[in-house]
Amino acid sequence: MSGYVEDKEYVASRAWDHRLFQRLLQYARPHWKLFLASFGVLIACFACELAGPYIWRAAIDGPVSTALAAAPDADKSPLVHAMLRWIGLYLGVVCALGVLRYFQVAVLNRTGQVVIHDLRTQIFAHIQRLDLAFFDRRPVGSLVTRVTTDIENLAELFASGVVTLAFDTLRVAVLVVLLFFIHAKLALVVLLLLPVLVGISLAFRGGARQAHRSVRARLSAMNGYLQEVLSGVRVVQMFHREDRVSKTFAEHLHGYYLANKRTIFLFALFFPAMTLGTFLIEGAALKVGVESLVGGGLTAGDFILFWMFLVMVVNPIRELGERYNVLQSAFASAERIFHVLDTESAVQIAPGSAPPAAQGRRSTPPHITFEGVRFAYETGNEVLHGIDFEIPPGHTVALVGATGSGKSTLINLLLRFYDVTGGTIRLDGRDLRELPLDAVRSRFGLVLQENFLFAGTVRENLIMDRPGIGEDDLREALATSSADRLIDRLPGGLDAWVAERGVTFSTGERQLLAIARALAAHPSVVILDEATASVDSETEAKIEAATQSLLEGRSALVVAHRLSTIQRADQILVLDRGRIIERGTHSELLEQGGAYARLYELQFALPV
Amino acid sequence: MKALWPIFRHFLKYRTRLLAGLVSIPLAQAADVAITVSIGNAIERARTATDTAWLTKVLWWLALYAVVRAVFRFYQRWWIVVVSRQVEVDLKQQTFDKLTSLSFDFHNQNRTGDVVSRLTSDVENVRMFLGPGLMYTAGAVVMVPISLGVMFHLNAMVTSAMVVPLLGVGWVMKKLTPRIHHYSMEVQESLADISHCAQENFAGVRVVQAAGIEAPQARRFAAVSEKNRDNQIKMGEARGMTHAAVNLAFDLTFVVILITGGLAAIDRTLEIGGLFKFLDLTIKVFWPLIALGWIAGMYARAVASAERLQELMAEVPSIQTPENARFSEPVRGAIDFDGISFRYGPEAPFVLQDIRVKVPAGKTLGVVGPTGAGKSTLLSLVGRLFDADGTVRVDDIPLRDWDLDHLRTSLGYVPQDSFLFSAPYEDNIRFGADGELSDEQIHTLVRRAAMEEEVRSFPDGYKQRVGERGVTLSGGQRQRTCIARALAKDPRILILDDCLSAVDTETEKTLLKELRQAGESRTVLVAAHRLSSVVAADQILVLDENGHQADLGTHAELVARPGWYRETWQRQQRRAHLLEDRV
Repeated sequence: MSGYVEDKEYVASRAWDHRLFQRLLQYARPHWKLFLASFGVLIACFACELAGPYIWRAAIDGPVSTALAAAPDADKSPLVHAMLRWIGLYLGVVCALGVLRYFQVAVLNRTGQVVIHDLRTQIFAHIQRLDLAFFDRRPVGSLVTRVTTDIENLAELFASGVVTLAFDTLRVAVLVVLLFFIHAKLALVVLLLLPVLVGISLAFRGGARQAHRSVRARLSAMNGYLQEVLSGVRVVQMFHREDRVSKTFAEHLHGYYLANKRTIFLFALFFPAMTLGTFLIEGAALKVGVESLVGGGLTAGDFILFWMFLVMVVNPIRELGERYNVLQSAFASAERIFHVLDTESAVQIAPGSAPPAAQGRRSTPPHITFEGVRFAYETGNEVLHGIDFEIPPGHTVALVGATGSGKSTLINLLLRFYDVTGGTIRLDGRDLRELPLDAVRSRFGLVLQENFLFAGTVRENLIMDRPGIGEDDLREALATSSADRLIDRLPGGLDAWVAERGVTFSTGERQLLAIARALAAHPSVVILDEATASVDSETEAKIEAATQSLLEGRSALVVAHRLSTIQRADQILVLDRGRIIERGTHSELLEQGGAYARLYELQFALPV
Repeated sequence: MKALWPIFRHFLKYRTRLLAGLVSIPLAQAADVAITVSIGNAIERARTATDTAWLTKVLWWLALYAVVRAVFRFYQRWWIVVVSRQVEVDLKQQTFDKLTSLSFDFHNQNRTGDVVSRLTSDVENVRMFLGPGLMYTAGAVVMVPISLGVMFHLNAMVTSAMVVPLLGVGWVMKKLTPRIHHYSMEVQESLADISHCAQENFAGVRVVQAAGIEAPQARRFAAVSEKNRDNQIKMGEARGMTHAAVNLAFDLTFVVILITGGLAAIDRTLEIGGLFKFLDLTIKVFWPLIALGWIAGMYARAVASAERLQELMAEVPSIQTPENARFSEPVRGAIDFDGISFRYGPEAPFVLQDIRVKVPAGKTLGVVGPTGAGKSTLLSLVGRLFDADGTVRVDDIPLRDWDLDHLRTSLGYVPQDSFLFSAPYEDNIRFGADGELSDEQIHTLVRRAAMEEEVRSFPDGYKQRVGERGVTLSGGQRQRTCIARALAKDPRILILDDCLSAVDTETEKTLLKELRQAGESRTVLVAAHRLSSVVAADQILVLDENGHQADLGTHAELVARPGWYRETWQRQQRRAHLLEDRV
């Protein structure tokens, strides 16, 4: 299908997007207290971190230097006392820091998690209500990514990205200012050489991101192949192709290895380059420092304080590249998420839409009219060209025709999964688009070819959270669809667990359950897409009977494959490439001797 | 450790590089310590010196140390980690080959997804431990004695006291690591729940919207997401504890240095330059030691992973070519099922019971019966995917004596699940051929499988990747492709496992005619739900739901007598899929 939305890692070109950030801030706003707390903890931490080196300077320039300068036999007890005071203070600072560090991690993390939980539930609810055209163009896996990986990336943004990056910048700035207070010339040397480190860090991040991405791509290709071969191992062995798949796997492995090698090279280069850059600063600082120590103007305590601050300046810069990448991928994720949030459902309820005349269950079926209905999934490619027909209350209309003739599209339009691009569909004379969506859908019972079961109990799958379905409705539905015997066989009966997507049930059993599910809600209109897959004859007979009771006394639009269904339909529409080419009952159409009759001939008059 | 040894032997294959990497470590570390010592000495000298002429020489030495440190740090990582990746390649290739060689019983017991993820994480665990783990361990092992030696030389008392906070952090980490591990498992699980819930709702969006249950489903999702949030918060708290504890230990080491070192300095047993050396060496020795703690944590996992890998490597395919294997040349394709019974495990019910059928070379056998009657199983026996009780003979040689390569080379197999590779369309056909195929040959095969027109309509024609978005093959198209693939082999024996179920009746007729023509000289076994597929077979075997041989005969004979076959034939005639989709 053209117009398919590629799910590439389209990365935001910038690491900072102000517009996106503003939007993200809206999600942070309700939790401003947490953000405030985060900043408070970070600032308190930083203050304690700064205090430590100052205490060292005070101790060295105070008691230690005095002792070293004093006569060897002088009384040292006042010095020891002074020393102990500094030690006590230092111990206090260190312990406070321990407590604060815990809160730093815990609070920052909590902030991120709380914000993204809100966003995650919002985006889920939004996606769920989008029209089917949206789902047609996207693989389910990529939509799942929106509420998993993309959201996780945003957590990083809130937790460590923005706050830490902003704070790191602040740290470096404050430290550089403090360095100036210690010794201006030394600080100037550092300030001039810092860009070298920033340069290395940023140069590295580009390469690292690319390398990581290629490793990920290779790894997923390799694992995909492995998975595939294992699931088809029967075929591999039957064809005796073990050597051939082994060679292909070796190629995958080699590609993966080369990608890894590149990453290793980059990292192997980065760390030593960083230390070499740091050494440049250290060496220059040592030269200036020693000269000042000898010439005066700098004490030994000053020098040690300076040295400790130097480490504190370099660390955030080393991580700059990493943070930059986190930020960039977070913004890319934010862009993808907002792109989905900005997608409006194409199926909208018209303003001022009135409630339908008769609502809900056990109501009389509406009179359904298709008037000149046209539809195109994408502009310029119309698949229905003016369809006219009626379903009077209680009538069954069967649709027959080849794949692509437009049968399923008609069903989708009646359920308003899409809106018509021309003409009108009316319920009791009112345009479908003017009626509230859920009120319309609640009157319909739907049975599809691929009957989707959710992970949960059988009961949950039959009731599906729909209001007003009681135990009686359930029992009745199961009995009518003769799915009750199927339930009886299950360990736990109605409370038996359905595995993901209902894999524990056969195709035929799933169809029976879907019919029961539709029956339970007492719909006034049934929409049925009969399955074509072959099931064993006994189940087939059951499905046939269940289908009959489902259709009885209700209006129905059926994509029909079963002869029995077709024969009993009040009207058969033969569709061909988006047009109705014949209409009438089974016997009428046979008599006409047209397309329907020919097809019937082909199927049932099989020469044996 | 015993489990790790066989894997470590892989590392020895690359011993030159490994050795070079290991030798780089002490050189880099020694240079690192030399830098600290030189700076400390310079500070001490500056306190008493009156000129700075000596400084230039010190700076040159420092520059030399820094370059040496950088160069060897590069090489230690480059050599050791690359070797670990090479070993990863070897291990994965080896396990891959093992997996494809293992028989059906293994694959039946192990789910594909589990095997893949286990393989990935096991190999990674072992690699991390023996690669980067080794590097960090060696680093710490070298760094600790050098640094501690230097420090002891400076002041023994201060050095001994420093060990106390380190022991503390070891204890705290030992306590906290299981907790973090626990929460991270919980987080992973709740993340998987989120993913499942979203997957289900998005894949089943028609059902959800049609039933108008968006709101309850959204609430369900919110509950799952909330659980994840709470787990994440708890894990953050546990991480915060570790982070705080490790850093506290680090800071406390500084406190200890200030106490003992400061007092020693007042006593004049330590100088300010010495204090500097203590501080700087502590920074350099502390983090490798912490890393050592993490690596110790990795050890248990690495051993468990290595054991699992060993276990896998020790698996022996239950089906192998025997010694003194036999084969017929050329293979004629006469098949004899002589009293075959089979079940999938010693506890499982029998799926086949005492089947006795002879298929002469070049003839066709149809196999029919209700779902679960053992049709596929019977067909798979011919390729010896598993062994059954009784004897299956091909060309009068029992399968157990056959040379497997020879046997399987002469088989064409069309599987029930229409398995295809997500590779270019033509590659899937090539997979079937023993040698190379020309484009012309591929086109012919595809034409014979009645797929040519459709393949031409793919955007990329024969180069179209199967399963790529947009062009997903329908069930019928997959089945016909599998037929073309089997024909590419020009096999003596053709096995068709219910491979026409998604093909419409018209195409089925064409295909059957084609297969019969192609199969005039070969033996064909065909299992089917739809009896029209077996109508023309020379013999039809009817199985009942317990895998008993219920009947055997031609179509004409079977419809003439009452039984499952006649009933089903009549029912299928009545039902049929009127005007069904031309798949």
